[in-house]
This record gives sequence, C-alpha cells and structure tokens, in this order.
Amino acid sequence: MIGVVGKLGRRRLEYEVVKRLVGPLLTEVESARARVKSFRKRGHQPKGPFGPPLESARKLKELMTRHYLEGRYADGAVPVAWVTSGFPVEVLRPLGFHAVYPENHAALCAVQRVVPHLSEAIEQQGYSRDLCSYPRADLGSVVLQETPVGRLPRPDLLCCCTNICQTTLYWYRALAAHFHVPLVLVDPPFVYGEAKPHHREYVRDQLEELLDVAGKVAGRRATMDEIVEVTRLAREGTLLWGECLAESRNRPAPWTGIDGFFHIAPIVALRGKPECNAYYRQLRDELRHRVDKGIGGIRDERHRLLWDNLPIWFDVRGTATLLAERGFNFVCTSYTNAWAEAGSRIDPADPLGSAVIAYTDIILNQDLGKRYATLARLAEEYTCDGAVLHSDRSCKPYSIGQLDLKQRLAKDLGIKVMVLEADHGDPRAYAVEQGHGRLTAFMESFA
Amino acid sequence: MRKAYVARQREALGRKSVAVLPVHYPKEILTAMDVLAVELWGPPGSPRGPEAGRLQTYVCAVVRNALAFMAGGHADVVDAALFPHTCDSVQGLATLVTDFGGWSKPSFVFQHPKGPTRASARKFLIAELRALAAWLGTLTGRPLDVEALRRAIRLHRAIDETKARVLARRERLPLSDRELYEALRRGEWLWPEEHLDELRELEGKLALDAPPRAGVPLMVTGYVPEPMALLDALDDAGAYVVRDDWAAVGRRVVVPRCAPDLDGDPFEALATLYYEAPECPTRSLDQEARTRRLLSLYDESGARGVIVHEPKFCEPEAFDVPAIKRAFAERGAPLLYLETELETELSGQTTTRLEAFVEMVGARRAA
Repeated sequence: MIGVVGKLGRRRLEYEVVKRLVGPLLTEVESARARVKSFRKRGHQPKGPFGPPLESARKLKELMTRHYLEGRYADGAVPVAWVTSGFPVEVLRPLGFHAVYPENHAALCAVQRVVPHLSEAIEQQGYSRDLCSYPRADLGSVVLQETPVGRLPRPDLLCCCTNICQTTLYWYRALAAHFHVPLVLVDPPFVYGEAKPHHREYVRDQLEELLDVAGKVAGRRATMDEIVEVTRLAREGTLLWGECLAESRNRPAPWTGIDGFFHIAPIVALRGKPECNAYYRQLRDELRHRVDKGIGGIRDERHRLLWDNLPIWFDVRGTATLLAERGFNFVCTSYTNAWAEAGSRIDPADPLGSAVIAYTDIILNQDLGKRYATLARLAEEYTCDGAVLHSDRSCKPYSIGQLDLKQRLAKDLGIKVMVLEADHGDPRAYAVEQGHGRLTAFMESFA
Repeated sequence: MRKAYVARQREALGRKSVAVLPVHYPKEILTAMDVLAVELWGPPGSPRGPEAGRLQTYVCAVVRNALAFMAGGHADVVDAALFPHTCDSVQGLATLVTDFGGWSKPSFVFQHPKGPTRASARKFLIAELRALAAWLGTLTGRPLDVEALRRAIRLHRAIDETKARVLARRERLPLSDRELYEALRRGEWLWPEEHLDELRELEGKLALDAPPRAGVPLMVTGYVPEPMALLDALDDAGAYVVRDDWAAVGRRVVVPRCAPDLDGDPFEALATLYYEAPECPTRSLDQEARTRRLLSLYDESGARGVIVHEPKFCEPEAFDVPAIKRAFAERGAPLLYLETELETELSGQTTTRLEAFVEMVGARRAA
C-alpha cells in the first residue's frame, strides 16, 4: 500500500513539476527562440500570397504543446478522461480531470500525415479503411503506442457524446474493450424540427448521471459552484472564439478560414480553462489590430468563400495556397462556427439546463433544414460569393445532404457552389491533383 | 407482391401501413394500432431511380436504395414512414427525404436510446414509445387501446418464441436455407397473425426424430441476408446456416431471461423487452457482450465455422469486426469475412471464397 501511495505521489510530483516548471520553462525558451527568429527576419516581407503570419500562432503552439506535455505525465497523477469533442466537459473540469480529445489528436496526426501508418496497424486487425479516419488514427496510435505528441495518458474514464455522430459510439465501444475502463455516454437525441420536451429531459437526466459517474472516478462530486465557474469560463471562451471568427466579416478578412481550423484547438481541447480564454483574447486583439491596419489573411482578397465540413487536414496548406494565389479566401467555415455557437448557449445561471440545449442543438445534431439555414446565414453575414462543400468520406453525418445543399445554396443565394470529395484525415482517399484541378476550374468560373 | 398485399390490407380490412427502415422498432405498437409494418431493407439490387445520386457512393446501399425507392414513388402504397434511429446514415436519410424532398407523407423518427439500462434511458425509451403510439393515433384516427397493446405484445412474444424454436432446431428442418430465410423474412411485411400461422406451419415440419441435416453447419453474423444467393452458394457448397445473428433475422428474436409483466403497464413491458434483446452495435455500448454472445451461440449451435457478413460502409457492424475476429481466433474457430453491397447476385469471386471456406471447414472436421 505504501508502495502504491509512493508511486502515486511520485507521479503527482512529476506531473506538477512538468505543469508548473518544465512546461512554462520550455515555453519561455521557445518564445525567446521565436523572438530571436522574428528579430532576424525584421523588415523582410513574407513571400507568397498570404498576409503576414499571425503572432498568436506562436502562442497557440506553446499552449497546445504544454497541454500535450502535461498529458504525458497525467495518468497516475490526476484522473484522465478521453472525451469526444462535443462532450459537456464542464462537468469534468472541476474534478481535476486531464481531458484528452482523441479527435484533436487525430487531426494532429492527419496534419503530420501519419494517418496511413497508424491506420494500417489496425487495418491488419480487420478495421475497414471505409471507417472514419479519426478513430482509425487513434486506435492505431493506441495499438502501436506511437503518437506525434510523445505519449497519450491512459484513460480512467471514457466520455462519449453522440451529438456529433454515432461513429463516436462505436469508436468508444472499441476503446472501452481495449482499456477496460468505464464508458459514460451522453446521447442527445437528434433534433428533427424542434426538440421534444422528453428529449431535453433525457439529456438533463444523463448529465445528472454523469455527475455521479465522474464523481466516483475522481473520488468526489463536483459542487455546483465549481460547475458554475467552469461554465462561465467555457461561455466566455466560446464568445471570444466567436469574436475572433466574426472579424472575418471585414474586408479583407484579417486571417483565413484555414487559420481558423488550427486556432480552433483550444476551444475544443481547453474549453473552460482560463488559459484558453487568455489565448483567444490575445488572438481577437491581434485580429482587430489587423483589421484596423487593413492587413488581410491573404494579400489580394478578391473572392470570399464559405467552407462546409471538416478540413482536409493533410492538405490544408496546399488548398489554401492554391486559392490564395488566385485571390480566394475561405472567410468562414461551418465547422469553426459550430464551436462559437454551441458553447455560447451555456449559461452559468443554469449550468445543466443550458448545457442540455448547448449540447443538443449543435449543427451536426440537427436536421438539414437548420444546416441549410446556418450555411445561408454564414454566406450572407460574411458576404461570400461562393462555397466549397467538402464531401468528407470520413464524416457521413456532415456529408449526407450536401448534394441537395449545393443546389439550394446556389439557387437561393445566387452564389457558386462546388462539392469537393476528399477525406479529413487519410491522404489515401484523396487525389490531390484531381482535387486541385476541380478547385482551379471552380475558381475559373468566377472570371 | 408486397405492394399488392399492402393494397389488399387496405381495401379488405381498412388497415393503414407504414414503411419502416431498419433495424429496431416496437412493432407491437403498430400491431396494436392495426397498422401494417412493411420493412424497407434497401430493397436489394440497383437503386430504383436516379434519386440515389443525392447521396454519396460511400453511404451504404441500404440507405441509398431506400432513398431511390421512396423518392421514386415506389413506396407510395403505404401511408407513412418510420425511421428508427439506427445510425448516422438512416438519421441523415430521415431528414434528407422529408426536408429536401422525396417523401411528403407523414413520418416519425423513433429515437431509441443507446447504451446500457440506465434510469434516464429507460424513462426516455418509454416516452418515445408513448410518442410513437400518439403519432400512430393521429395517423389512424384512433387512440391506443392498452388492452390491444397487451394482446399485441403476447402475439409478438409467440412469434419470437416460435422463431427461436425453429432457429434452434434448424438442422432438423427439411428446408434449404433460402426456403427458411424467405419464410422468416416474410415477417418483415406480413400481418403478424398470418406470419405466426406460417411459422407454426414451419415448426410443424421439424423432423425431430430424423437425423440432423447433412452438411457443414456454419454460423453467420451480420446485417441482412442479402443477396439471398449467398444461401444458395452455401447450399451448393455443402454447408448450411445453423445459427444466425443477422440484424434483420436472428438478432431480433428476443428470448428474455426474465419474462416481462404482460399484465402490467405494457410500455414498461416493451422497455424490458428492449433491454432483453440480443446485443446489437446500433444500441449497445458493450462490444465484449456481443462477442460473448456470439461465442455462446457458436458453442451451443455446433457450428464449425463463422461467416461475418457485412454490407459495405456499415459503420456499426464494421467497428465490431476486429473484436469478433479476435474472439473466434482465440477460440480456434475458422472465420470468413464477407463484404457485400446489397447486390441481387453473388459474384463468382465470392462464391469461390465461400466454397473454399466450406471445404476448409469440412476438411478440419474430417481431420
């Protein structure tokens, strides 16, 4: 027993040292190095079609590096939860859980183009390549014990919310069978028209059950005051993220939608934490400064586009460059917008009641009529003259209906719309040359 | 044949009918409301019309074909549609076809809860069952008669019990697999009392004193026995399905460990039956429970090998395949993974794989 306590104590000590000393120190070193690099480059105009890089990008890297660094030492030190992106994490934060977002991790794997390698490891076990590339990347990472972030902590609890897709349910079933740890489910019914009262009640009841389960794993139950405070932070962070996105309503947009895909990471993985909000405050201020100075995300913004669905993570830069060279910028995306909408509905005055609405009424959990209304509103608010709907082989709930959405958006708004078939994580499912050829033809149609 | 049957039901009995998408729904409530359920598993073959093109080709054939079928007017003989909340694709179909065109008749989405028995889920399930009954009440113009629901539950209990007996003694039934599964699947659209009569007739054919059927007994797990030519191919190769866990057939036969109280609140009884149903990835959180059940079926059936038969792009099923493979490999049981796409015929390549598998399993037994 003393040995176990000693081991736990050592893990906790390591975790705290990394969190309070090593992480900040590395951040300072990295920051100093970046400042030196920036000093050397002073006066140099960046080449290419993009505007000057965002200063906040460096801070983003520091923030996420620290998050994953802490994660390496979290298991055995603090309770660890693996959490789907749409999970009501506000219930876990007060209990000191270190939350790992496998979707965020999989996106990182996709950017690093390691999904095929990770996926092949589980394809050998019988997983189909037709399955979403996120779970394939993560399950592959679990099996191989390889990850671009060094190490993921072993979960004590798996937390799945099906408001983004049912795939998460099957994915977390497999994780539960692998790790043999409790799996807690929040299952918000899909909203056709308006949510029925018993649907809302069901979500509320599940949140109450979640409080019990999380409390058992953590050894204590979160108090309502604690939940209120985390909810306040989560709401503030979400509103700040929304303010960042809204800056792109200006002409030129001070950043690109592609930038947004990367800067979304904190609101997904660190929602409800002060450092998340501090980051978005900095980003918002920088974007406002750029707007004031007339600095655009691309140098010559001539056309403004809407992007629907997740990005093609492994070709984000390639796609953005192709478009920027011709004066096209993705000024808004339905995906990044979803993170500004959902959390803004949570209310510290009624944390659980508002969480019911926030975590049920999200874009992927609503009917196509509401999807259409959101896309049309975004296209108008951001004065888009075109839209690219990414038909994502890895995301059926996001992609079903896009062929009808294309027709409607084009007809009702008089904008040009194209459907681009690709995959958010697996380069084997996307012919880049073909895709770029289609995008080029699409852009030529604006002439 | 189904269209004519549905029309006759309306003309002769004034009975309304509802097209039902896969998989799980409380048929007892439809029966109690005197509504005929006509299940729509695709149908198989090429999509019947261009509307399938409104869905990407990476969406499963069951849903693409259903869209073409409904939007093409082929299901217009029914009065309404019911979409169980099975998966992302059925969920998407339910909004696509009703919000963006293809189905203008009434529709209802039955959102069954996922995961284990929890107080929240059971309460929600009962509320959904009541909501479905209320919707059917609007459709038929009659409120639910609670006694009729109790009778319907008893009727469907009798159907499941008869099916379970037939399936458990399948090797004593002098029928080919195609004949057996065609008979069982008539329950997807026949009025339940007629189906029960047919099942009892089928049960009467059980030759309990005769020696068991010759051939290699195999177990199948998967979604739906399509193409039916699969069964012919097994027959030709000298094998037969001794136990099945197809979502469309064996996995929907509920044999409760504890009998529900049929004299009490019938909605409570339906909720109990829901949680007593065999493990299905479209409802359950416990992958290991499914593999345990499959191993148990395998052991009790005397099967000599397993076929995992899945439709392409079926996520709920595909995520379980590695665990099933692993479990049967540890047991030393031969396993064949077969992926089909709701085609009407079996490819020569697939037939060859089946023949080779049956030959291999047969040789193991001989050895």
